[in-house]
Amino acid sequence: MGRINDVGGMQGFPAVWREQDEPPFHADWEAHVFGINSALISRGVYNLDEFRDAVERIPAQEYLAASYYERWLRAITMLLAERGIVTEEDLADG
Amino acid sequence: MAEPFRIGDRVRASRVDPPHHTRLPRYARGAAGTVTALLGSHPLPDRRSRRLAADPEQVYAVAFTAGELFGEGDHTVTIDLWQSYLQPAAAEPSGAAAATGDGQ
Repeated sequence: MGRINDVGGMQGFPAVWREQDEPPFHADWEAHVFGINSALISRGVYNLDEFRDAVERIPAQEYLAASYYERWLRAITMLLAERGIVTEEDLADG
Repeated sequence: MAEPFRIGDRVRASRVDPPHHTRLPRYARGAAGTVTALLGSHPLPDRRSRRLAADPEQVYAVAFTAGELFGEGDHTVTIDLWQSYLQPAAAEPSGAAAATGDGQ
Protein backbone atom coordinates (compact mmCIF):
# COMPACT_ATOMS: atom_id res chain seq x y z
CA MET A 1 0.00 0.00 0.00
CA GLY A 2 1.87 3.04 -1.23
CA ARG A 3 0.93 6.35 0.31
CA ILE A 4 -0.10 9.42 -1.66
CA ASN A 5 3.03 11.33 -0.64
CA ASP A 6 5.27 8.69 -2.23
CA VAL A 7 5.14 9.90 -5.83
CA GLY A 8 8.86 10.03 -6.67
CA GLY A 9 9.45 8.91 -10.25
CA MET A 10 5.74 9.12 -11.12
CA GLN A 11 4.75 10.66 -14.45
CA GLY A 12 1.91 13.10 -15.15
CA PHE A 13 2.50 15.92 -12.66
CA PRO A 14 3.14 19.45 -13.95
CA ALA A 15 6.71 20.76 -13.96
CA VAL A 16 8.20 21.74 -10.59
CA TRP A 17 7.97 25.53 -10.35
CA ARG A 18 10.58 27.27 -8.20
CA GLU A 19 9.59 30.67 -6.81
CA GLN A 20 12.23 33.40 -7.05
CA ASP A 21 13.31 34.73 -3.60
CA GLU A 22 10.70 32.58 -1.92
CA PRO A 23 9.87 33.83 1.60
CA PRO A 24 9.78 31.29 4.48
CA PHE A 25 6.03 31.85 4.82
CA HIS A 26 3.42 33.21 2.43
CA ALA A 27 0.97 34.20 5.18
CA ASP A 28 1.05 34.71 8.95
CA TRP A 29 -1.05 31.62 9.61
CA GLU A 30 1.69 29.48 8.05
CA ALA A 31 4.20 30.78 10.59
CA HIS A 32 1.74 30.02 13.39
CA VAL A 33 1.33 26.46 12.13
CA PHE A 34 5.11 26.08 12.02
CA GLY A 35 5.42 27.40 15.58
CA ILE A 36 2.63 25.22 16.96
CA ASN A 37 4.20 22.12 15.43
CA SER A 38 7.64 22.96 16.82
CA ALA A 39 6.16 23.47 20.29
CA LEU A 40 4.18 20.22 20.22
CA ILE A 41 7.23 18.23 19.11
CA SER A 42 9.57 19.85 21.64
CA ARG A 43 6.98 19.21 24.39
CA GLY A 44 6.90 15.54 23.38
CA VAL A 45 3.22 15.47 22.42
CA TYR A 46 4.37 13.60 19.31
CA ASN A 47 7.69 13.13 17.54
CA LEU A 48 8.79 14.22 14.06
CA ASP A 49 8.28 10.77 12.58
CA GLU A 50 4.72 10.59 13.95
CA PHE A 51 4.10 13.99 12.39
CA ARG A 52 5.41 12.83 9.00
CA ASP A 53 3.27 9.70 9.32
CA ALA A 54 0.21 11.86 9.97
CA VAL A 55 0.87 14.01 6.89
CA GLU A 56 1.04 10.82 4.85
CA ARG A 57 -2.28 9.59 6.31
CA ILE A 58 -4.24 12.57 4.99
CA PRO A 59 -6.83 11.17 2.55
CA ALA A 60 -5.39 11.27 -0.99
CA GLN A 61 -7.86 13.75 -2.48
CA GLU A 62 -7.33 16.18 0.41
CA TYR A 63 -3.58 15.70 0.33
CA LEU A 64 -3.31 16.53 -3.36
CA ALA A 65 -5.57 19.59 -3.06
CA ALA A 66 -3.78 21.03 0.00
CA SER A 67 -0.83 23.41 0.17
CA TYR A 68 2.29 22.52 2.15
CA TYR A 69 1.22 24.17 5.42
CA GLU A 70 -2.42 23.16 4.96
CA ARG A 71 -1.10 19.59 5.14
CA TRP A 72 0.82 20.48 8.31
CA LEU A 73 -2.28 21.92 9.95
CA ARG A 74 -4.36 18.90 8.93
CA ALA A 75 -1.71 16.53 10.38
CA ILE A 76 -1.43 18.51 13.64
CA THR A 77 -5.19 18.52 14.22
CA MET A 78 -5.37 14.83 13.31
CA LEU A 79 -2.71 13.94 15.90
CA LEU A 80 -4.25 16.14 18.62
CA ALA A 81 -7.69 14.60 18.03
CA GLU A 82 -6.27 11.06 18.09
CA ARG A 83 -4.59 11.76 21.42
CA GLY A 84 -7.76 13.22 22.87
CA ILE A 85 -6.15 16.64 23.36
CA VAL A 86 -8.78 18.36 21.24
CA THR A 87 -12.21 17.22 20.08
CA GLU A 88 -13.96 17.70 16.76
CA GLU A 89 -16.16 20.23 18.59
CA ASP A 90 -13.13 22.22 19.73
CA LEU A 91 -11.86 22.36 16.17
CA ALA A 92 -15.25 23.38 14.80
CA ASP A 93 -15.40 26.22 17.33
CA GLY A 94 -11.99 27.46 16.23
CA MET B 1 20.38 -6.95 12.28
CA ALA B 2 22.63 -7.55 9.26
CA GLU B 3 26.37 -6.95 9.19
CA PRO B 4 27.23 -3.30 8.64
CA PHE B 5 28.15 -2.28 5.10
CA ARG B 6 31.20 -0.35 3.96
CA ILE B 7 31.66 2.35 1.36
CA GLY B 8 31.67 0.73 -2.08
CA ASP B 9 29.51 -2.23 -1.05
CA ARG B 10 26.68 -3.19 -3.38
CA VAL B 11 23.37 -3.34 -1.55
CA ARG B 12 19.75 -4.02 -2.44
CA ALA B 13 16.77 -2.16 -0.98
CA SER B 14 13.90 -4.06 0.57
CA ARG B 15 10.80 -4.85 -1.48
CA VAL B 16 8.53 -4.48 1.54
CA ASP B 17 5.56 -2.17 1.06
CA PRO B 18 4.89 -1.22 4.68
CA PRO B 19 1.49 0.00 5.95
CA HIS B 20 3.16 2.83 7.87
CA HIS B 21 5.68 5.66 7.53
CA THR B 22 9.00 4.74 5.94
CA ARG B 23 11.98 6.62 4.49
CA LEU B 24 12.49 4.07 1.71
CA PRO B 25 10.73 5.54 -1.34
CA ARG B 26 8.59 3.27 -3.47
CA TYR B 27 10.67 3.84 -6.60
CA ALA B 28 13.76 2.38 -4.91
CA ARG B 29 12.14 -0.82 -3.61
CA GLY B 30 14.08 -3.89 -4.70
CA ALA B 31 16.73 -1.78 -6.48
CA ALA B 32 20.48 -2.37 -6.19
CA GLY B 33 22.86 0.50 -5.43
CA THR B 34 26.28 1.36 -4.02
CA VAL B 35 27.09 2.68 -0.54
CA THR B 36 28.81 6.06 -0.97
CA ALA B 37 28.91 7.39 2.62
CA LEU B 38 28.20 6.50 6.24
CA LEU B 39 25.77 8.98 7.80
CA GLY B 40 25.85 8.06 11.47
CA SER B 41 23.33 6.17 13.57
CA HIS B 42 19.68 7.12 13.91
CA PRO B 43 16.47 5.44 15.16
CA LEU B 44 14.43 3.73 12.44
CA PRO B 45 11.58 6.12 11.49
CA ASP B 46 9.35 3.16 10.65
CA ARG B 47 9.36 2.23 14.34
CA ARG B 48 9.61 5.70 15.85
CA SER B 49 6.56 6.85 13.88
CA ARG B 50 4.61 4.10 15.66
CA ARG B 51 6.01 4.91 19.10
CA LEU B 52 7.93 1.62 19.16
CA ALA B 53 11.36 1.34 20.78
CA ALA B 54 14.00 2.15 18.16
CA ASP B 55 17.71 1.89 18.93
CA PRO B 56 19.95 3.96 16.66
CA GLU B 57 21.14 2.04 13.61
CA GLN B 58 23.57 2.86 10.81
CA VAL B 59 22.30 5.08 8.00
CA TYR B 60 23.99 5.04 4.59
CA ALA B 61 24.02 7.22 1.50
CA VAL B 62 23.24 4.78 -1.32
CA ALA B 63 23.65 5.78 -4.98
CA PHE B 64 21.37 4.18 -7.57
CA THR B 65 21.66 4.60 -11.32
CA ALA B 66 18.62 6.06 -13.09
CA GLY B 67 18.65 2.97 -15.29
CA GLU B 68 18.24 0.74 -12.24
CA LEU B 69 15.43 2.87 -10.82
CA PHE B 70 13.56 4.04 -13.90
CA GLY B 71 14.86 1.95 -16.79
CA GLU B 72 16.44 4.95 -18.49
CA GLY B 73 18.52 8.08 -17.87
CA ASP B 74 22.20 8.81 -17.22
CA HIS B 75 22.03 10.37 -13.74
CA THR B 76 22.24 8.79 -10.31
CA VAL B 77 19.93 9.22 -7.33
CA THR B 78 21.44 9.10 -3.84
CA ILE B 79 19.09 8.18 -0.98
CA ASP B 80 19.72 8.10 2.79
CA LEU B 81 18.76 4.57 3.84
CA TRP B 82 18.74 2.79 7.20
CA GLN B 83 20.47 -0.55 7.75
CA SER B 84 17.08 -2.30 8.12
CA TYR B 85 16.14 -1.36 4.54
CA LEU B 86 19.21 -3.01 3.03
CA GLN B 87 20.75 -6.38 2.35
CA PRO B 88 23.79 -7.42 0.31
CA ALA B 89 23.04 -6.96 -3.40
CA ALA B 90 23.92 -10.58 -4.09
CA ALA B 91 21.06 -11.72 -1.88
CA GLU B 92 17.60 -12.27 -3.29
CA PRO B 93 15.34 -9.25 -2.61
CA SER B 94 12.90 -10.37 0.01
CA GLY B 95 9.89 -9.32 1.97
CA ALA B 96 11.78 -9.82 5.20
CA ALA B 97 10.18 -8.19 8.21
CA ALA B 98 13.49 -6.49 8.97
CA ALA B 99 12.66 -3.55 6.72
CA THR B 100 9.75 -2.49 8.86
CA GLY B 101 11.57 -3.21 12.07
CA ASP B 102 8.96 -5.79 13.03
CA GLY B 103 11.57 -8.49 13.29
CA GLN B 104 13.49 -6.81 16.10
